[in-house]
Amino acid sequence: MNLDFQQFIPSLPYILKGIGVTLQIVSLAGILGFALGIILSFFKISRFKFLGWIADAYTSVFRGTPLVLQLMLIYYGSPQLIGYKIDPSTAAILSFGLNSAAYISEIIRAGILAVDKGQSEAAMALGVPYRPAMMDIILPQAMKNILPALMNEFITLTKESAIVTVIGVTDVMRRAYIVGGEKFSYFEPILIAGLIYYIMVMILTLLGKGIERRMRRSD
Amino acid sequence: MIKVENLHKSFGRLEVLQGITTTIKDGEVVAIIGPSGSGKSTFLRCINLLETPTNGRILINGQDITDKSTNIMKVRQNVGMVFQHFHLFPHKTVLQNLTYAPVKVKGISKQEAEKNGLELLGKVGLSAKAHEYPNRLSGGQKQRVAIARALSMQPDVMLFDEPTSALDPEMVKEVLEVMKALAHTGMTMAIVTHEMGFAREVADRVLFLDGGVLVEDAGPKEFFSNPASERARDFLQKML
Ligand SMILES: Nc1ncnc2c1ncn2[C@@H]1O[C@H](COP(=O)(O)OP(=O)(O)OP(=O)(O)O)[C@@H](O)[C@H]1O
Ligand SMILES: [Mg+2]
Repeated sequence: MNLDFQQFIPSLPYILKGIGVTLQIVSLAGILGFALGIILSFFKISRFKFLGWIADAYTSVFRGTPLVLQLMLIYYGSPQLIGYKIDPSTAAILSFGLNSAAYISEIIRAGILAVDKGQSEAAMALGVPYRPAMMDIILPQAMKNILPALMNEFITLTKESAIVTVIGVTDVMRRAYIVGGEKFSYFEPILIAGLIYYIMVMILTLLGKGIERRMRRSD
Repeated sequence: MIKVENLHKSFGRLEVLQGITTTIKDGEVVAIIGPSGSGKSTFLRCINLLETPTNGRILINGQDITDKSTNIMKVRQNVGMVFQHFHLFPHKTVLQNLTYAPVKVKGISKQEAEKNGLELLGKVGLSAKAHEYPNRLSGGQKQRVAIARALSMQPDVMLFDEPTSALDPEMVKEVLEVMKALAHTGMTMAIVTHEMGFAREVADRVLFLDGGVLVEDAGPKEFFSNPASERARDFLQKML
């Protein structure tokens, strides 16, 4: 096996620039997924069965089909759906956000249900209405328990984001591929991309551990 | 004054309360005793509408709280409750546990809530713990904080559901002392308890429940020395 990383050094900055693209997609999708996930999780625990039904159907569809299919559906379908073609990174943020909302809503739902029922009873007994009790008493406790699972979802998102390559977003993966095409050698640049993803995931993992430790200190 | 008229409560087909009628006067301390599963907790939880009565009426200071138009939150603000397992908010400090509801639902200022909170902590002997988190406290301390938290809403009525049953024996006394002191302030109290000595000493009246029926409603002397029913006699024999 002969590896020649030397010839790829000039291309390194180009590949590294993809980190910004990847992080932008992942963080915006993460925020979208989290916000929508919270709403869906409220639907799932709602008294109104209809809302729960909607949220369950949503989750079922997004978990039951491939992410890459959802990505392509949104990207190539946008002209028919909304009348114009959205740009690839918007499609990526949308599809990843919508997809991870399905998973995050399940995580949050479980987290809320895992909070001792006595907590909401204590709030109720003090005359605290449902919404503030949820926001101030139940959710903060749920969040603490589900932080590791959320972090996991975020890490998965980071890795999975590599599939945006198929719709031409110039993320780390795509750039490595392009560089490989220029030099007629794919092995090294893709190895480089692999290393970059691995380092990003490790940093996220450490970050998650740090936050967890800090939260645990408060109790 | 709490007037309970023909109170029924069913869970599905299980009728847990089968028509309870009694009155708790202002400043009265009522002990509720009876075997496990007799409906004591359910009775208490109906009074602050944690359970919705299936039938009958409950009037607090003349207001029918079982009426559909009643503002449940307002009722609960006026009826404090202390649970067997405390249910303090673990992510809030002791003082924050006491200020949260008054600030949130009564809309009083944070400063005033903290002033009141510290005063209440003084009364339950826990001023030094104001800025601790609940899991740094012993069981007895937790329950005293829970009592102070319920009092922070300045309720007219206090409900206690086996407040000492989850405590180690050496901590029971400190909680009972706080409750006794509260009784002396003229607070209206309904206490589900297995502490017969406490009931006898502090209660003005004893309600004995069995199988969802109010079997006896008597003064403590009378009840403990000369229970009218066979069931109460059996129960007391097992307890004492
Ligand atoms: N939410 C509920 N759903 C169904 N059944 C219930 C519910 N709450 C209570 N019960 C039943 O109602 C009956 C009375 O319960 P309750 O908790 O009022 O008894 P208790 O006198 O407080 O007993 P203990 O001394 O064990 O606390 C029991 O048979 C119990 O299983
Ligand atoms: Mg009980």
